[in-house]
Amino acid sequence: MDTLALLKGVRFIDSFFPSGGYAFSSGLEAAVQRKAVRDGKEFARYVEDVLRNSLSRREAIAVAVAHRAVTSGKLSAALTIDGELDAMKIGRESRLASRQMGRQVIRVAAEQFEGDAVLQQFHARVEEGRTPGHLPVSVGLTLAACEWSPEETVAAYLYQTAVGFVSAAMKLLPIGQREGQRLLDEWSPLLTELSRNTTKKSVMVSWSPVQDIYGMQHAWLESRLFRS
Amino acid sequence: MPAKKRSRGRVSPSSVGRVGTLTLEYLRQGQRTVFGRTNCQTPWHLLPPIYLDETGTAYTLLLNPSGGLVGGDCLSICMKLDKDAHVLISTPSANRVYRSESEISVQEADIRLGPGAILEWVPEPTIPFAGSRFRQAIRVQLAPGGTVMLWDAIASGRIARGERWAFASLDNEIWITTASGQSVLERYHLNPTEKGGVGLATDWDYVASLYLVSDEVSSEVWKRLEEQLAAILEERPGLVLGGLSQPAAPGLAVKLVARSAPDLNAMLEAMWGAIRAQLWGLSAPALRRY
Repeated sequence: MDTLALLKGVRFIDSFFPSGGYAFSSGLEAAVQRKAVRDGKEFARYVEDVLRNSLSRREAIAVAVAHRAVTSGKLSAALTIDGELDAMKIGRESRLASRQMGRQVIRVAAEQFEGDAVLQQFHARVEEGRTPGHLPVSVGLTLAACEWSPEETVAAYLYQTAVGFVSAAMKLLPIGQREGQRLLDEWSPLLTELSRNTTKKSVMVSWSPVQDIYGMQHAWLESRLFRS
Repeated sequence: MPAKKRSRGRVSPSSVGRVGTLTLEYLRQGQRTVFGRTNCQTPWHLLPPIYLDETGTAYTLLLNPSGGLVGGDCLSICMKLDKDAHVLISTPSANRVYRSESEISVQEADIRLGPGAILEWVPEPTIPFAGSRFRQAIRVQLAPGGTVMLWDAIASGRIARGERWAFASLDNEIWITTASGQSVLERYHLNPTEKGGVGLATDWDYVASLYLVSDEVSSEVWKRLEEQLAAILEERPGLVLGGLSQPAAPGLAVKLVARSAPDLNAMLEAMWGAIRAQLWGLSAPALRRY
């Protein structure tokens, strides 16, 4: 990858980027409170399942489709996948979190890629409230505009999500920084495999009923550290 | 599905009894909902509506007397509810899907609700046998004021035989769209032999979804119902794990996993009773299925 392209893109998936991702646990907080996830081993099983059966088959597809929308110059594909993703994310907290983070990404990207017509049109639709602006779609459009490849873009999205889980787990579970780093290292081959398998697909599916349920239960918790 | 399989009168001899469409139209006539135009191809069997109480709700059992689906079966349902019709759909028993070496078994439903129409879609669970291949698609289009309650449950297999999550593939799509274009979409593809299998769901024997969508119910009623359903979902800790939320379309979405059929049925009955009471002032129906 070109070094300039790398630096332009990496800002958007870096935890320093002001998307507010640190505030969301994607249901992990509810799973921990309900004692379904108690240690690093159970946490790894929880995340690996959601990566394999949900994120790589739904959100990652949305990333790849949005990436193709930029390279092919067709906004309609990005709008369709954004609407479908909104319909598939039945948990309100998770849906609103994805919208909020996506809006932040596309706003910053729109200021920096004024020449990218698809990205600009998508941003305008988000601001007008005509499309939800989910995070995977915004990341796909943005990293395509940075000239990252589809596989790199999907891998970056999945890595960013995995980091979010580890970051939340370090606040919720007896998991230290070194164990967090070990998990991210262990997941690297999985993320690579999932990214490779995703880039040409266009139909989103998702199967993580247990994690979805904890995501929904989060709204009913009496005390909460996270917003999802 | 290929168009030639769906067009009436053009079914090839080898498809008789395996490729069939059930067309149901319901009309509101006075206090009752009655059949309009209907059409039935084998293996479907058409029964007249049953009236379980004085509300005039038309109760129809989807009856496939062949006992289940084998590879290559392709059953479709085309349903239309006219203005203010109230229909309750169920099945006489579980939807069994048998082992298939190659061909998949398909069941599709295309449902349209007119203004003010109500559909309660409450079939028995699908049981995918070991080695079965199943694809289901249910699409519902609502007119303004239309309300759908849609329940969909799958078992891990023939649990009493110790057969769990042993089917070859299961594809499911449920897509509900309101008049203004807001949607709820559930779509999954399962192949338990793939790496990762069915994930954390492998610890459970039933997985179910309940969708309730309507653009005419007030936010206060949704909120009351949400609180009630949340309390019901907490009634069987360790036996049922459930969550509910507000999807992108106006309404509620429930997802649950259960240890056993009695646990699953108890949840459905309790939630269904609460929904009927809140939305229509009705009690839970006695389906007289057995």
